[in-house]
Amino acid sequence: MSEMQTIKDMPTNDMFISGHGACAGCGMAVAVKNIMRILGADTTVYVPASCLVVISAMYPTSNFRTPYLFTAFENTGAVTTGIRAAQRRRGLSSTVVGLAGDGGTFDIGLQALSGAAERNEDILYVCLDNEGYMNTGIQRSGATPFGAWTTTTPVGTNVEGKREFKKDLMAIIAAHDPPYAASLSIAHFNDFVKKVEKAKNKKGFRFLHVMTPCVPGWRSDPSMTVEIARLAVETGMWTLYELDEGSARTTYKPQTMLPVTDYLKLQGRFRHMENDDIAKLQEWLCAKWYMHYGNDIEQPVCAVFEKVKRVRHPHEEQLHFI
Amino acid sequence: MVISGDHAVAHAAKLARTEVVPSFPITPQTLIVEQLAEFINDGELDADFIPADSEHSVMSMAIGASAGGVRVFTATASQGLALMHEMLYAVPQNRLPIVMANVNRSLGAASGIWVEYNDSMAERDSGWLQVYVEDNQEALDATLMAFRMAEDRRVLLPVMVCLDGFILSHTVERVEVPEQQEVDLFLPPFVPFNMLDPYEPKLINPIVGPEYAMEMRYQLDRAVDHSREVINEVDEEFSKLFGRRYGGLLDTYRMEDAEFAMLTLGTATGLAREVVDDLREEGKRAGLIKLRFMRPFPFKELCEVCDSLKALGVFDRSASFNGGGPVYTEVAAALCNVPTVVTGHVAGIGGRDITTEHMRGMYDAVERASRGEEVRSVTWHGLRGDME
Amino acid sequence: MFEVRFHGRGGQGAVMAAQTLAEAAVIEGRHAQAFPYFGAERRGAPVMAFARIADRKISIKSQVYEPDLLVVLDESLLDIEPVARGLKPGGKAVINTRKLPTEIDLGMEVECATVPATSIAMEYLKAPIVNTAILGAVAMVCDLFSMGSMQQAIENRFGGKFGEAAARANAAAAAAAYSQTLRGRCKGNRPFVPRRVWLPDWRDIPIGNTLGEGVKDGVTVGPGGAKQNLTGSWRVQTPRYDKEKCVRCLRCWFSCPEGCIKREEDEYVRWDLNYCKGCGICAQVCPVKAIDMMKGGSR
Repeated sequence: MSEMQTIKDMPTNDMFISGHGACAGCGMAVAVKNIMRILGADTTVYVPASCLVVISAMYPTSNFRTPYLFTAFENTGAVTTGIRAAQRRRGLSSTVVGLAGDGGTFDIGLQALSGAAERNEDILYVCLDNEGYMNTGIQRSGATPFGAWTTTTPVGTNVEGKREFKKDLMAIIAAHDPPYAASLSIAHFNDFVKKVEKAKNKKGFRFLHVMTPCVPGWRSDPSMTVEIARLAVETGMWTLYELDEGSARTTYKPQTMLPVTDYLKLQGRFRHMENDDIAKLQEWLCAKWYMHYGNDIEQPVCAVFEKVKRVRHPHEEQLHFI
Repeated sequence: MVISGDHAVAHAAKLARTEVVPSFPITPQTLIVEQLAEFINDGELDADFIPADSEHSVMSMAIGASAGGVRVFTATASQGLALMHEMLYAVPQNRLPIVMANVNRSLGAASGIWVEYNDSMAERDSGWLQVYVEDNQEALDATLMAFRMAEDRRVLLPVMVCLDGFILSHTVERVEVPEQQEVDLFLPPFVPFNMLDPYEPKLINPIVGPEYAMEMRYQLDRAVDHSREVINEVDEEFSKLFGRRYGGLLDTYRMEDAEFAMLTLGTATGLAREVVDDLREEGKRAGLIKLRFMRPFPFKELCEVCDSLKALGVFDRSASFNGGGPVYTEVAAALCNVPTVVTGHVAGIGGRDITTEHMRGMYDAVERASRGEEVRSVTWHGLRGDME
Repeated sequence: MFEVRFHGRGGQGAVMAAQTLAEAAVIEGRHAQAFPYFGAERRGAPVMAFARIADRKISIKSQVYEPDLLVVLDESLLDIEPVARGLKPGGKAVINTRKLPTEIDLGMEVECATVPATSIAMEYLKAPIVNTAILGAVAMVCDLFSMGSMQQAIENRFGGKFGEAAARANAAAAAAAYSQTLRGRCKGNRPFVPRRVWLPDWRDIPIGNTLGEGVKDGVTVGPGGAKQNLTGSWRVQTPRYDKEKCVRCLRCWFSCPEGCIKREEDEYVRWDLNYCKGCGICAQVCPVKAIDMMKGGSR
């Protein structure tokens, strides 16, 4: 099998077809469409409660041309385990993929996800991370970044936006020592293609974490969805890396770290943020940046933060992900 | 063999050639999944044993595997069943013939690990068929029959086999374990109806709007009702092959000329048989109705059995607060056009032992009702202190 | 009982408009209710909202099937669904458009008012949120509400949520719309084409909430059946492709959320506009500006 390296190697056959009900400019739709192109027809899809089920599987139709199942919110790791067990017994080698949101992965689905990862089930788990419960109308999740407005972290007179930083999900995944885990961006096309292809062809528990900007939830312009995903990487809000059979590496390193404001200013969910909070977020990002990319090159935007270069993860050996 | 109720169930699941067993331990069910794990690891059963992270995941895996096209068995109890609650409801509407043993144990606070039916009674409107068994032999036989009923094309519904925690699960009795060849004649290999097949893609369980949901629900209502016929047929066929007959939805004992009777379910039935014999020796026309299936509920069959009965007492091992027990209210509804006086009798709550005296007390009350005497509509037997 | 049906697109504020209308009626001393069509529609998808007004307590909670007043927040909806279905013969319609009432065809000839609510909203609110502007036109054509109570209702509902300045701007937009409303009668030439639906009896629904690929009563169902949803009707801007400039990088093909950009054998691309929602990502990701977005939903 020749490996897919670039967009041009991708199959043109759509398994997630046009006619879905996602908002114009939906980042999740971009991710799902391309993941399904690469996984191909021999795929069985499970979708938990999420935007994806609502936009693509309303009786009597679906946008998936593959077998498809939905049941509940918190059980992606478990249902896919059951499907895979049955298919193995029936001699089927189809890729069993769970396409879950960040709420269904970081929060309510974490237990079933951990169970599947720990048992090293032969499934592909994809977390489509739009940093909130968007299906129910933009509520905070464990994936929502610091400072962001959501309907449950409103911008009030006493408290403005979310006060906690984004949960380090990948560190949790890494603790299960899976055969393959990677973070993807819809703006890094060839990196995206390679990682999905790799995940498809491996055996055992595979995890893909995709940032999927959300137009109404992030209060952004529909045309800027891919650009926001690109800036997330350039500012350190999102890091591209993979964990392949135990060895971790970043797959793309930006030349120079862009100030986080370049990312924030395109999104209404951060519009209220004041300098103190922006500095807090920037400092957190600088620490994360040095952990991922090393601290031999000082980033100009981080020069004001004295301490960040010395910040170390409690487990120094372990790569710190987010 | 001399085996416990839990082991009897495990033998049935093995004889049924179960293919996937998702499991999570909970007392007093654990012996079932332990035994199945042993069968699998010893090569006596070719199945996938999946140790889950919770009962919610167990039922989720069961759904995935059943939709994936294989025969699935699991077991649970009490809090485990409650944790499954959300997923239980996904099974009947998607018509997945999963078989599960529920070893009855009291649920919630002021409870322990002992038998009460408030766990499974809370799931009686989920669309699962529910059978309650009297002894270990019936635990095995009902589990085998459950697969046949569940997988029948006219049914395609999950079945919950309910057995009393400890009183059956941990009590050893003489049990006839059928031969594999006999069971293979009774239960053919699993053929899925709807399946996640990459070669013939199907969309299973999308979101359903108001324009379709009502028709789907009525279809399910009819399927549960039509299962009554299949339950009787399977009982008949089982008796021909194995020589044991259970009566289908309900069984009767000395009801031919009975004037008053109790309706019981679970292990209390055995006790009631003894009391009926005593009463008959005293010249009293006592009888017994054993309710086997709580779902489908035998509305029509009960009316027929109670046709010439003066009074019926209904045994409940759980309370539907301020209304007696759930079996009582359903029986009373079923008999609302029959002149039989119906009273409720709650006993054995939280695993409190039910003695011959308790059962005798129930019969005495029903006998008084049959003579036209005023009797409490609901009585708790074995309660300290007078009832309000 | 006076019944109103609003047609808009997800994100335009049809529900807020219905609620504000109800509040205006209550300010007038009447009883009123307002509610959305309970769906899971996303931004840009056609949506509905309803309002009822009466002189005594309203007990009915059903949807509105035969409205007295029809309010259309987005003119493009006229071409994609029969918005006037069930409108009472003596009913009225209010449409957000730059056209004259006589240029509008609702499929039935009724009293019709038009108002350029989008440009009014852009002027007063700096955003195409038309729900308050159109209420000014509603006040103009309906004697159930005075403009005073409509403005009061707008200030009440918007002031609490978005602050006083927003409330005043919205009330001013309504007042501008009130004075720019044109009244007349619309045309009734457009045929009502009911949407194709498959509504089987309970016996005919495939068992187990499961469907394979197929066609039922002319409706495609099952896996891939959603291709019949022509989401191109959501579009308010349309991509224009300059093949001469195209470097065949396929970024647009990868980045299109709809999958409506098709890849040709020679790696040039074409658009299936039946599905294009006009998000503009393709134009944004194009490294050589071979794609730009034109206003309007047509080709």
